[in-house]
Amino acid sequence: MDGLLLELVKVSRSFGATRALHELDLRLSPGRITAIVGENGAGKSTALRLCAGELAPDAGEVRVGGRALHPARPEEAIRRGVGLVHQHFMLVDGFTALENLVLGAEPMRGLRIDFAAARREACALAERTGLEVDFERRAGELTVGERQRLEILKVLYRRARAVLLDEPSAVLAPSEVGELYAALRRLADDGATVAVVTHRLDEVVRFCDEALVMRRGELAARTPLGAERPPELVAELTRAIMGREPPAPLGRPAAPDPGPEPVLELGGVELRDAAGRRLLDGISLALSAGEIVGVAGVDGNGQRELVRVCAGLERATAGTVRVGGRDPFAGVHPGPAAVRAARRAGLVVVHEDRQREELVLAASLGDNALLGDLGAGHDAERVARRLARFAVEPATPRLPAQALSGGNQQKLVLGRARDRQVRALVVSQPTRGVDVGTARRIQTALAEAAAAGAAVLCVSADLSELAALCHRIVVVRRGRIVCELPPDASEDAFGRAMLGVEAA
Amino acid sequence: MSGPSAADGGRVTYWRVLFVVSATLLVLALLCFAFGQAPHAVLARAFAGTWGTPYGIGQVMFKATPLLFCGLAFHVAFRAGLFNIGAEGQLALASLAAAWVASKLPASVPAVVALPATLAVAMLVGGGYAAIAGVLRARFGVHEIIAGIMLNRSADVLLPWVLAAGLGADSMRSADIAQGARLPRLDFIPGLHGSAASLAFPLAVLCTFGLYLWLDRSRAGREMRWIGQGPDACLAQGVEVPRRRIEAMCLSGAVAALGVTGTVLGYKGYYELGLGSGAGFSGIAVAMLGRAHPVALVSAALLFGTLAQAGLAVNASVPKEAMAVLEALVILLVAGSAHGDRARRARPGRAKPPAPDAPAEPSLDAPAEGAPSPGSTA
Amino acid sequence: MSSWLSMLPETLRISVPYACAAVAGVWAERSGVIHIGLEAVLLTSSFSSVAAAVASGSLLVGMLAGVLAGVVVSVGHALLVERARVDAVVSGVALNLLAYAATRLALRGLYDSASNSPSIAGFDLGPKGGDVGAMLARVLLDPVTLGAALVIAASPWLLARTRLGLRLRACGESPEAARSLGIDVVRTRVLALAISGAIGALGGVHLAFDQHRFESGMSAGRGFIALAAVVLSGWRAGRAALACLVFGALEALQIALQDVSGTSKATTLVQLLPYVATLVVLALGIGRAAAPRGLGQRVDDG
Repeated sequence: MDGLLLELVKVSRSFGATRALHELDLRLSPGRITAIVGENGAGKSTALRLCAGELAPDAGEVRVGGRALHPARPEEAIRRGVGLVHQHFMLVDGFTALENLVLGAEPMRGLRIDFAAARREACALAERTGLEVDFERRAGELTVGERQRLEILKVLYRRARAVLLDEPSAVLAPSEVGELYAALRRLADDGATVAVVTHRLDEVVRFCDEALVMRRGELAARTPLGAERPPELVAELTRAIMGREPPAPLGRPAAPDPGPEPVLELGGVELRDAAGRRLLDGISLALSAGEIVGVAGVDGNGQRELVRVCAGLERATAGTVRVGGRDPFAGVHPGPAAVRAARRAGLVVVHEDRQREELVLAASLGDNALLGDLGAGHDAERVARRLARFAVEPATPRLPAQALSGGNQQKLVLGRARDRQVRALVVSQPTRGVDVGTARRIQTALAEAAAAGAAVLCVSADLSELAALCHRIVVVRRGRIVCELPPDASEDAFGRAMLGVEAA
Repeated sequence: MSGPSAADGGRVTYWRVLFVVSATLLVLALLCFAFGQAPHAVLARAFAGTWGTPYGIGQVMFKATPLLFCGLAFHVAFRAGLFNIGAEGQLALASLAAAWVASKLPASVPAVVALPATLAVAMLVGGGYAAIAGVLRARFGVHEIIAGIMLNRSADVLLPWVLAAGLGADSMRSADIAQGARLPRLDFIPGLHGSAASLAFPLAVLCTFGLYLWLDRSRAGREMRWIGQGPDACLAQGVEVPRRRIEAMCLSGAVAALGVTGTVLGYKGYYELGLGSGAGFSGIAVAMLGRAHPVALVSAALLFGTLAQAGLAVNASVPKEAMAVLEALVILLVAGSAHGDRARRARPGRAKPPAPDAPAEPSLDAPAEGAPSPGSTA
Repeated sequence: MSSWLSMLPETLRISVPYACAAVAGVWAERSGVIHIGLEAVLLTSSFSSVAAAVASGSLLVGMLAGVLAGVVVSVGHALLVERARVDAVVSGVALNLLAYAATRLALRGLYDSASNSPSIAGFDLGPKGGDVGAMLARVLLDPVTLGAALVIAASPWLLARTRLGLRLRACGESPEAARSLGIDVVRTRVLALAISGAIGALGGVHLAFDQHRFESGMSAGRGFIALAAVVLSGWRAGRAALACLVFGALEALQIALQDVSGTSKATTLVQLLPYVATLVVLALGIGRAAAPRGLGQRVDDG
């Protein structure tokens, strides 16, 4: 495979008033795996999307193989050999894996698509790269790992010589990550240009050849990773990313004495979808007052459903949720009424997608602070209290919620949740997409809630967050709790549990 | 993807007004030439027949009344994120019901009883018919656009049948309504004498301002707006999304039903097939033009009322359908120019415009809130 | 008795405009464009076909003009929705109003009539005579019917097996994914709407040629019934055409009933059936999952 050099030359790009990239110079060379790291909003994904023709630069030039990428459109980038694997998979769920593979580059036989030839080529490609996918299944039915492999195959099927991946490991279990990088290494050894945007610095140090550190839309540092990879490299990269010393590790609150009766108790909770598949399969869990329990697992293994059952948005098809020994959902239809019933019982839930499930972005901060509590009186007072609790900036009640940064949005969400009467707090991905400083503030708030006597159930994809915060961690897979691990268990142990390897 | 819907026509800028007006005039001129008329002469005649005389003004108000009610109806539902395109059927059925009830009232019943009773029946029928679409959306996840179309067509089929079979009318009109149920004409205003304008128009304006205020201040109104902007968040925070949606739809249907004041109660004195038809669809255009403010809504209704009346005024030289063509054109131009305008505002270096009043893009894949469906999370 | 037997050719004849409009709806909505402007397509194409046939004296020219008009309206809808970002529902409603008003205006301008155009000759191929066999032969030999049957029969295959079909469905299911693969979503949708317009226009042409003239508002809600068929079929061309055949049979039955007794209650019920059936089927949740996932979604250009 010929090498394909990708360059951004003095590239600037803004979205509305937000400057994402400022005169960025970036080189992605063939034959190696380049990691692009940086905080949220540093412009990493924007840089990749520019390379792939999905965005056009406001100023500067994107060069593919030494020539400007013009017109800046995906089809042109694909034609020139650039392939991008998005963080959110770009698959047509209703199509088979094979249809997804050939879409846009269909082998033809007369008027119709030659699926037989496509299948032959797909199998050959899968064999050559070691990326196995069941091509006859619908994309919507594939596992997360398979979907990711299919995305990479899609790129290779189009004869890409530069493969760009945006957060490829965010949804994978640790051992799948190893397989992913093994496949990427084969590509790089073949001469392909491989670039990976990632948050996981341990991966960067273990698998990549070079790290480009971005900060506020500019290149802050460029760290070649030679044969020598001392452990302090991770700390060094962290400093480069933040531009200052990383905060001291979070002190976990002392484990409480188990009380006589659990505050939050899930008893054999089961949830089936319309087709009868078990999304949750007998989840049993008891939390005492002051206890923080983590839920780990590969995304899509029932975490979301678990949170929705606790919130009252779904009714468990079997089993119960009890708060202080009482089932708040008895005799209530799932939906708003159940949400309010849970809240009356002191069960407060913070959902993972704060922009969709927690906030009305177009409505004002004041309205959002009152969302769900309108009509209870003392509106102005309540708004002021909820904005002040975690110091939302700016605390202007008339401002629309979409004007806030992700971190401040989450502060508002937590301020509202904590202002309610809390006996049990269920939070999902509390620090996703939030800058490091705010993330620390939010984690501290969770610890404080526990210290004040609440039981806290924390679902997170960030193992290090769970390890720092929780007293114990349960691992879920296919809607089932497969094991419970202490927070200091090795990442390897978590990985095996998340993938169910130990059974084999 | 989830940008504000194109019906974000609330913001009126000079650029847009200029664009829409000049394009409309251009098409009008072309139509005039096609019919061998001088555009300025046609324009002059159109003006003389509308805003040029007190009588013309009265006629414009008369034409604008059902449009304003239907525009207001669309706006109410739209605030809650719903497309009520069923106003056409709601108004028609409500008109029939109101005319029937009013015709059954004894002549001795005073207006203070007859009028409210008739209006209540109209609102009940309009709101009830809209409730079908509301319940189908909120409880069964059927999109209200499809439901609205089907219900409109059902009303079209039902009306002649009810008239003929149910009321025993052999002609396609109901009996005359009782005197007490008639709305007074605006005859007492000098000059309006002879025009079809009645108290219905001031009533419509009053309703517009009142309802806007209610939507902004009341708990139900505020929650409806939030639901329109972020239904998932509202649901997750315990706002009664299905109930509010049904309420919004009923309210919308009831408001559309008030259009009957301008046609049956204030003008004809009976219902006949086709009376007030078209107002439901034109109301969508009125709402699109004037969503931002009650004054804008009233102006938009007057604009389309003017077009309709101007059509009659010029009919001898240019067919009145020309004005209907212009009306459709104005809808498309206004809706289409919103994008160009938005794109201009969103240029780099300028602040992204907040769209405080725009519900998320409707999709035809409407999940039923509150219905026990674990599959919907998968 | 012959009125009962004649229901078969009658059903076929009546179904053609419905089926064309429904399959047009499937093509449009499968690509992700909500299309409630099918009435506009039917009306403009029937008017244009008659106007061109009157002017040229050739039915073939009329047919072509009708198809062209359908394509123009349909593509116009696509451009308004995808380029000018007009809401698809608003655009559909406005186009229906526009088509109704513009055809009436043109009637007055061209023929100085508020209700109908001058008569045109039909194709009138096949045997003369009133027996069922001759009626059936006439229906089956009608070039517009044949053309419509051809494109309707080919539609499921075209959508499933060809490059255009696959890409078009991808745009309807997940426009973002399609765009990321370098598929021009806007162009694909415009193309889909062009095909949709041509197919729908055949229905309009059939309507006009069948009546041997254009009448104001002659589509009479057929576009909306077709939309019901689209939803009932789960957005599948073959099933939508079948549903239209059933609707056509119901209408033929209703005509036959009127011949027999003139009862209006039964005919009202028959007329209501498509609408009520659609609502019931949707409420039961049968068709909901089948709707294209990306229906009404747009992609933003970088």
